[in-house]
Amino acid sequence: MSKVSVIGAGNVGATAVYYIAEKNMADIVMVDVVPGMPQSKAIDFMHAAPSRDYNVTIVGSNDYAAIADSDVVVMTAGMARKPGMDRMDLLKTNVNIAKQAAQAIARYAPNALVIAVSNPLDVIAMVTLRESGFALKRVVGMAGILDSTRFQYFIAERLAVLPQDVMAMVLGGHGDSMVPLPRYTSVAGFPLTELLDTAAIEELVQRTRTGGAEIVGYLKTGSAYYAPAASVAKMVEAMIKDEKRFVAASAYLRGEYGHRDIFLGVPVLLGRNGVEKVYELELSDEEKKSLDASAVAVQEGVKTLEGIYTPG
Amino acid sequence: MAKIGIVGAGNVGANTAFFIAERNIGDVVMYDIQEGMAKGKALDMMEAAPIRGYQRGIRGSDSFEDIADTDIAVITAGSVREPGMKREDLYLKNVEIVDELAGKMKAYDGTVVIATEPVDVMVMRFRETSGLKASRVIGLGGVLDSTRLRFALGRVLGMATETISATVIGRHSTRMMPLAEYCRVSGVPVSALMEADELEAVFEETRNAGDVIVEMSQRASSYYGPSAAAADVVQAIAWDTRRILPVSFVWDGQYGIKDVAMSLPVVLGWTGVVRVLEPELSEEQVGVLKKSAEELQAIFCCW
Repeated sequence: MSKVSVIGAGNVGATAVYYIAEKNMADIVMVDVVPGMPQSKAIDFMHAAPSRDYNVTIVGSNDYAAIADSDVVVMTAGMARKPGMDRMDLLKTNVNIAKQAAQAIARYAPNALVIAVSNPLDVIAMVTLRESGFALKRVVGMAGILDSTRFQYFIAERLAVLPQDVMAMVLGGHGDSMVPLPRYTSVAGFPLTELLDTAAIEELVQRTRTGGAEIVGYLKTGSAYYAPAASVAKMVEAMIKDEKRFVAASAYLRGEYGHRDIFLGVPVLLGRNGVEKVYELELSDEEKKSLDASAVAVQEGVKTLEGIYTPG
Repeated sequence: MAKIGIVGAGNVGANTAFFIAERNIGDVVMYDIQEGMAKGKALDMMEAAPIRGYQRGIRGSDSFEDIADTDIAVITAGSVREPGMKREDLYLKNVEIVDELAGKMKAYDGTVVIATEPVDVMVMRFRETSGLKASRVIGLGGVLDSTRLRFALGRVLGMATETISATVIGRHSTRMMPLAEYCRVSGVPVSALMEADELEAVFEETRNAGDVIVEMSQRASSYYGPSAAAADVVQAIAWDTRRILPVSFVWDGQYGIKDVAMSLPVVLGWTGVVRVLEPELSEEQVGVLKKSAEELQAIFCCW
């Protein structure tokens, strides 16, 4: 049985554990700094095992040593922004958490693949890569699948069809600058552009860009976690089962699409070696311009990072 | 919970019941003209239920009356191909069976899913004899061809088939029409990921996929693929999922063609075909469809 560790047992982490257990993908370790919290959630999950048919074990711990020899580590730890909190202070805190986690991963699970989930995603992925010293293809950020799944749902809802029939590629950074590509979006193979007019597509694109904010707007004090956790579980499954899944994910670029040394959402092949390939799709001038703008936004984040971050 | 009738407990019928049970899609009653056959296979499957977690029943029956009050009826009765046979060679063997069933189902209130070959002509025949609405008589053609194409594309691309959509329309024969622009991986046209000659080779493989299995096995035609396709169509109808699948139905003016059954992508729901989607085709492609329509019309009227 494979082993997956989830760092951070909050809503995203715990819900990802739920999806992974429901599919009996791997034995799972949940690690969190809060005493008793990951342990309580793990035991609670195991109480459900008889009725949910779990054949996997779920263990909670406050000690990073528990992640030993994991095949995949999911990094969800980070503080949520509280009212009145300075954005820069929050970034500093979360960068430090990521730094410690990445060092622990390198120490205890030196062969693991790492999925960065905490925001700002493209920056946290960079910290994880640097601190772990892992090969580029072994660190990947979760964003494109989430943005795509939201776009797919909005399209299915509009057309009154089954969401699973809709497939989409959303590239770029995870945030307002994401780049949904209607040309590379299909409904049972039909190009989206044959089924909806430009105005309708633009409306759904806009809703996708602000998809996370829409949920925050409802919850007021929290953010989305079902769809983010489902996206994490898809990536974990692709790696553990070596599915060779063609999806959008935040990968380290070395000149692809004209960008280098940043994490950016691009089409990749996910398998047991992590990011096994980065694909360069043909983009129109306008699409390329949007992707470039997205890359600039990510670069600014990395620049900010250099100001507050000392490599360990 | 939907009641699903299966007519014919041979390989396609029994495996369709099996796939339906594995996904807990609905309650199944399976009928076969050979006494005991449906009952024996149904009982065998139910004895696996504790291990496989079936929550719906599968029942065998020797009486066709039991099909009458189902919501979906899958017609698998009839002979299958032997090596060297084309699908249309089965027409004369199977037309009487399909006619007889259609005659008994004139008052049927559900959706009929036909697997019996040659499927497009059998859809035409069943619809005419039963008098049921065209949206209620569906044949497994394009959905099976598309599934086989997805498999072949996944193998050549080295990618998970689950993320691959493929569209095959037209006649369920070597004249089937795979549509390159409507074959996509995670939204990206496969033509952006493979060479044109590779794609054409995969299309050719798909056109011959059924024949290859008949030749290999020598004794039986394929049934896992067809049964999986049948169960998928049943699930979309039974759960009213509005899934889009290419299926055969009697056309009403699509591309200028009427009264002939061929496959096109449709939205499937509780009432059968909810909506027809028409891919954008070249003149040449429309020409192939018209040629297929003429051939089907010729078999239907005159054989």
